[in-house]
Amino acid sequence: MAEKLAVVVDVINIIKVQMKKVFVVILLLISTLCFSQNKSNDSTKVYKKRVLESSEIDFLTSYYLQDGKNAAVTGGIGTEEIDDFTSTLVVTVPLNADDILTVDFGISAYSSASSSNINPFDADYANAFQASSGASASDVWYNFVGSYSHSSDSRNTIWDAKLSVSIEFDYYSFGLGGGITRLFNEKNTELSVHGNVFIDFWDAKYPVELKPAGSSDEDGDEHFNINNYTITGNTNYNPIFQEFDNKMRNSYSIGFGLSQILSKNFQTLFALDMVLQQGLLSTPYQRIYFSDIEDSFIEDFQLADAIEQLPDLRFKLALGNRMSLYMNEYIVLRSFYRYYFDDWGITSHTASIEVPVKITDKFTLYPSYRYYSQTAANYFAPYETHISTDRFYTSDYDLSKFYANQYGFGLTYTDIFTNSHIWIFGLKSIDLKFNYYERDSGFNAMFIVGGFKFVLDDRKKSIPKLLNRIGF
Amino acid sequence: MKKIILLITLIISLSSCVAVKEYEKMNLSDPDMALNLRKIDRFEASFQAYREAASGANGGKTGGGCGCN
Repeated sequence: MAEKLAVVVDVINIIKVQMKKVFVVILLLISTLCFSQNKSNDSTKVYKKRVLESSEIDFLTSYYLQDGKNAAVTGGIGTEEIDDFTSTLVVTVPLNADDILTVDFGISAYSSASSSNINPFDADYANAFQASSGASASDVWYNFVGSYSHSSDSRNTIWDAKLSVSIEFDYYSFGLGGGITRLFNEKNTELSVHGNVFIDFWDAKYPVELKPAGSSDEDGDEHFNINNYTITGNTNYNPIFQEFDNKMRNSYSIGFGLSQILSKNFQTLFALDMVLQQGLLSTPYQRIYFSDIEDSFIEDFQLADAIEQLPDLRFKLALGNRMSLYMNEYIVLRSFYRYYFDDWGITSHTASIEVPVKITDKFTLYPSYRYYSQTAANYFAPYETHISTDRFYTSDYDLSKFYANQYGFGLTYTDIFTNSHIWIFGLKSIDLKFNYYERDSGFNAMFIVGGFKFVLDDRKKSIPKLLNRIGF
Repeated sequence: MKKIILLITLIISLSSCVAVKEYEKMNLSDPDMALNLRKIDRFEASFQAYREAASGANGGKTGGGCGCN
């Protein structure tokens, strides 16, 4: 417990340091952009309503906690406990009347009892239901997304482009995307198409018992030597294991959207997303236990017979619909439905409803409910059910058959006049939301989310003054 | 699938008869009427992309960019 607390304190300290740096960089960015924006305004002769009036900053944060007893790292048994703390800063800047730049930076710090069992042998006594304290027990994930959008003079055509980078302890991702939106029929109909390409790379981590005896690596699993341990059960331990040659994972997606205003109080959106993924789609540290191979143990921990093997190609298709109905000045109904299938044999239905209720002109309540169901992937089987002659196998319960219920409750405070200020930023809204999620398998999760939106209110021209003072 | 395409066609056909004017869109402009995810919902969409096989068509992740499903 003390070690876990120390890990949490460490990651929070890392976040604090990183967030300070990011905040300074982003403030400078906003300042520069806003200053250039002010200059360009002076030369504008023709009035045109701006797409975004002022720069906005969103600070979002969440705390997530999950638990279950079907960890994929330990072949479908064992603790799934994870806690995660995420902070994100989103800065949206109008570059001129037509163009918007958005910079989005997120840091997530998590501790995972499940992935700590990549090396379970640094615990007092190795067991799939107990966390170890190895290097893989916690980590920090960084994410950056920069996007740019341009609206035509008529505001009937909008195009956007984005670039993203994310890094975590065993996964690196680089993404490019873009899209175009066209409005018709007096802006009652909207058609959009967008595409994304992600070039991802695994720094593959394997269960520690599969590494060559005496090998070491940067994870701190140094000099793990299986020969130093006593193997019980099947003492002739001989796993099926070969490192993955291809550690790339590429994803290509294309999506279409059609939204339509149906009346003064009702609108709907249909969305179609298609994704093709190729490369290493297995997770390298997820163990498999075969039913036709005798079990081997170190202490109370069952040694891997193999690691997850999944096809290197996957095609996914999702078709969704959203509807928003303005019931009256107090109540809005929002619904979502999605049908999904892929060529791994999974089909899924998702349905959710949210009922925003305005209790005053500043406060809105958001009760919500979501139902989710999916069938199992063709390659899924529970613990000790696969046989060693199978070509593909996984015991990851995220690919199993299950249904889940999610209950949410949110509260929003909105001040459209931004009366409260921090320096030159006016507070526009505060969002708080709590969600509880449970599967029929016993897995459950809860998360608390907070969001603060600020709008730049530089009536006193503080930024140009500041920039002049520092020599710009 | 045919039914869905038929439904979309029907909705567009019906709506093409009635165009809501800009000055009549006050209720549609309510932030709660938006047909996309709110910023605060991004964490929820991300968690679901990790813990569930299905993704996409909701404005969240569609695949790639994370070591998830």
